[in-house]
Amino acid sequence: MLLCLEALDLNGGEALVWLSESLGFGSRFPNRVELWKRRCHNPMRRACRRGDLEIDDAEALMRILCGMADRLYPMVRSLLSASEPAELTAQRWSLFEGRFTELLNERMNPRRSSVQKLLDPVEGAGERRYLVQSLALVAGVGGYERLRASLLDAAS
Amino acid sequence: MVFASPMKKALVYDQQSCQLRVEGLPDLSAGQGGEELGILTGWTLRWAGRPELEGQRSHLEALITAVQPYARHLVSGLRRGFGEESGPIWIGPSPAGPGHTLHLVSGQTGNPSLELELDDAELADLVRVLDQLLLDTRIKLPLAVPSPRPLRAGELIRRIPIQRRLAAPVGGVAALALATALAVLLPPPSRQPSRPPAAAVATPSAPPIQGQP
Repeated sequence: MLLCLEALDLNGGEALVWLSESLGFGSRFPNRVELWKRRCHNPMRRACRRGDLEIDDAEALMRILCGMADRLYPMVRSLLSASEPAELTAQRWSLFEGRFTELLNERMNPRRSSVQKLLDPVEGAGERRYLVQSLALVAGVGGYERLRASLLDAAS
Repeated sequence: MVFASPMKKALVYDQQSCQLRVEGLPDLSAGQGGEELGILTGWTLRWAGRPELEGQRSHLEALITAVQPYARHLVSGLRRGFGEESGPIWIGPSPAGPGHTLHLVSGQTGNPSLELELDDAELADLVRVLDQLLLDTRIKLPLAVPSPRPLRAGELIRRIPIQRRLAAPVGGVAALALATALAVLLPPPSRQPSRPPAAAVATPSAPPIQGQP
């Protein structure tokens, strides 16, 4: 989902650091490297770190994700809206999917089946839409509890 | 005649496609200040290009208790309906497409029930206005809203379509039935006449059979 946000915002990496500072996580993630280290606990990444993510770090990442989704909500909404002109929506999706695929190829492990599914132009379309829809539903302070509960699901 | 009360307050929560307006009074007996709202007298939900919804506190509670868990389950990839289909509010996946159906039953006799088709963006807007209401510190209503909770494995299995869930057991049973049918069709082995013992024709160079310890 963080990668989705980066695909929506060209300057997403810097925006995440800026947002972490404005949310009061400046001491926890003082720079991009520290933030990147925590993100590398994702086992789907090309170069992932071993060990568990600390609960405080995980909660801080969730807060940052919800805050960033809130900031980008107008863009997320425009992708999901059926009332926008179809051609414009198709162009937006094409742009988003192009960037998202680049980021997936660059950072994620292509041998993982879930990554392969996301990269699939046909089969992955539903998954990509599900990610964007989830971003819309977890945006803001109210979305934090939904995101947290979903990450604690039995199969997660 | 309408009496305008100086204590009456209206709080408005806006999103692009909808606007929620709640009206009420501070509960002075509970020591609430003038900015707070402890007694709800009514609410309206305005949609762009759609009929306006309005109701009492119980309807607002029903809307929140249907929409919030629905959104929570969508984040986990589970599309299922919430609320009572015969009750005031039900929300679930649209049978016609990828959208969402909000089914509303009017409490007033004679009013037909209403079905609104929402796209993903409109649903997200609705969830956000309800979030704004629930997080507003000025709202002092004791709303019975369940907090989001993690889903159990039994609930998550519903994400997989029933055809895919049943494919493996049905395939296994079919394979077993086929194997059984083929085994039944095979002719039983015919009885052979008894032969002389094999030892009589065995070559002398054959190694002796060793007994088990």
